[in-house]
Amino acid sequence: MQLTSIITMIIILLTVWGGLFYFIGKAYLREKSE
Amino acid sequence: MEKVERFSSRWALLLAALGMAIGAGNIWRFPRLAGQYGGAFLIPWIIFLFLWSIPLLMVEFSLGRKTRKGVIGTFSGVMGPRYAWMGGFVALCTMAIMFYYSVVTGWALRYFLVAITGKLSVMDHGRAWQQFITSNQPIFFHLVALLIGSFIIYRGISQGLEKANRILLPTLIFLLIVGIFRALTLPNAAVGLDYFFNIRTEHLLDYKVWLEGLSQSAWSTGAGWGLILTYSVYMREKEDIVLNSFITGFGNNSASLLAGLAIIPTLFSLMPTLEAAEEALRVGNDGLSFIVIPQLFNQLPGSAFFSSVFFLGLSLAALSSLIAMLELSTRIVMDFGFSRKKALPWVAGVTALLGLPSAVSYKVFQNQDWVWGLGLILSGSFFTFMVIRFGVLKFRKEFINVVKGDLTAGKWFDVVVKYLIPIEALTLIVWWLYRSMEWNPQGWYNPLQTDSLGTCIFQWVLAIGLLLLLNGMIVKKLHRKRA
Repeated sequence: MQLTSIITMIIILLTVWGGLFYFIGKAYLREKSE
Repeated sequence: MEKVERFSSRWALLLAALGMAIGAGNIWRFPRLAGQYGGAFLIPWIIFLFLWSIPLLMVEFSLGRKTRKGVIGTFSGVMGPRYAWMGGFVALCTMAIMFYYSVVTGWALRYFLVAITGKLSVMDHGRAWQQFITSNQPIFFHLVALLIGSFIIYRGISQGLEKANRILLPTLIFLLIVGIFRALTLPNAAVGLDYFFNIRTEHLLDYKVWLEGLSQSAWSTGAGWGLILTYSVYMREKEDIVLNSFITGFGNNSASLLAGLAIIPTLFSLMPTLEAAEEALRVGNDGLSFIVIPQLFNQLPGSAFFSSVFFLGLSLAALSSLIAMLELSTRIVMDFGFSRKKALPWVAGVTALLGLPSAVSYKVFQNQDWVWGLGLILSGSFFTFMVIRFGVLKFRKEFINVVKGDLTAGKWFDVVVKYLIPIEALTLIVWWLYRSMEWNPQGWYNPLQTDSLGTCIFQWVLAIGLLLLLNGMIVKKLHRKRA
């Protein structure tokens, strides 16, 4: 596997999955504070 | 008077929204395109999440919460009675998709049942697929899928939708993770990963790849279909529109990546040559799912298990989207004054009947998929038209940024909805219609051709003409119910 593909994979997965968990975390904190 | 139904929590709403968004397209369309174009496809696919899907999800979430009506009632209420037909088109488009989507769900269920009995491993898959779709079996399985979906919707929001999505979505994610473990432990799985994530300059500079990325984002998240609007009719008053839209959009894309990681390495690992793998990605959605993938699993020890995992995942993804479409239709009938228990049998009956042509004829299925799939882009642009006519800034202030302390939509929303989405919608419609002329250089105008420009325009004009003709009657019946 090429190095550029590995870097792209890490960036894409971090962006999409990281984004999802970031927003779920935000929603969780909001629910908890209510 | 019927009790007002509500989702019990934000998580229940989000599970339902994700179940709606994550459908067959995530499993059979995304990996096909991502394998073909690699990382160059993923870039526009992510960009258009922000420039198409999430803003439209925000529009739908906020409309449902504010109006507490289905799509027709919402268009009539926000734009005025003269525009009820626009809501009618959105509804008709999604319902037309529901008619054949029930058939697709039935295909997946049937293949799952064959897979768990172990019979899938001894088939000649190309021939078996042809024999299956030309037999009467798709009718039976279409009715089975519809019966399951209708049973869920009949039980209502908390007892039906909520409970079903609590099982469907986590099971689907678990199955995808099982698939990824198998895929990544195959020899040469890295070749598939390389195809999946490698950004090739010629693809990145190809406008077609960008338009495919936009198309996938538009179709896959379910934004502009009226489904999220329908679910948000049942959302609690105090919900964060922007946050929910981001979770739905990112959740849908996350599931697509899981499906890609399970399918693309498997394909590139088990196909005899790279050319054969590339060829397999071009065979079409159902060809990949029902012919190529079962053939590949045959080469693995425990093939019955992995085929069952794949087809159960496909069935659950399709079912969780089918129930959203059934709820959209049921909600519309309920807006005319019927109870859920009375509305659902009508919706199920009509779906059973109008799904039959696609169950009987594969050409009809392809035709409907082409006409109403592209119709969804028109549906999305109708939502945008509504917001522009209402005033984008006013809409943002009165519909989205309402609850204090929530995430707010900024000025970027105005720019995207007012300028970018109309341009994107127009570009997509013109591009896909132009492509259909290339597919049918001789008969592109012929309304009887399966995927011609003529059939698309003919059916759209017929639908809009009928809806315009019935607009007055629809509005009268809606208002009579309200009175």
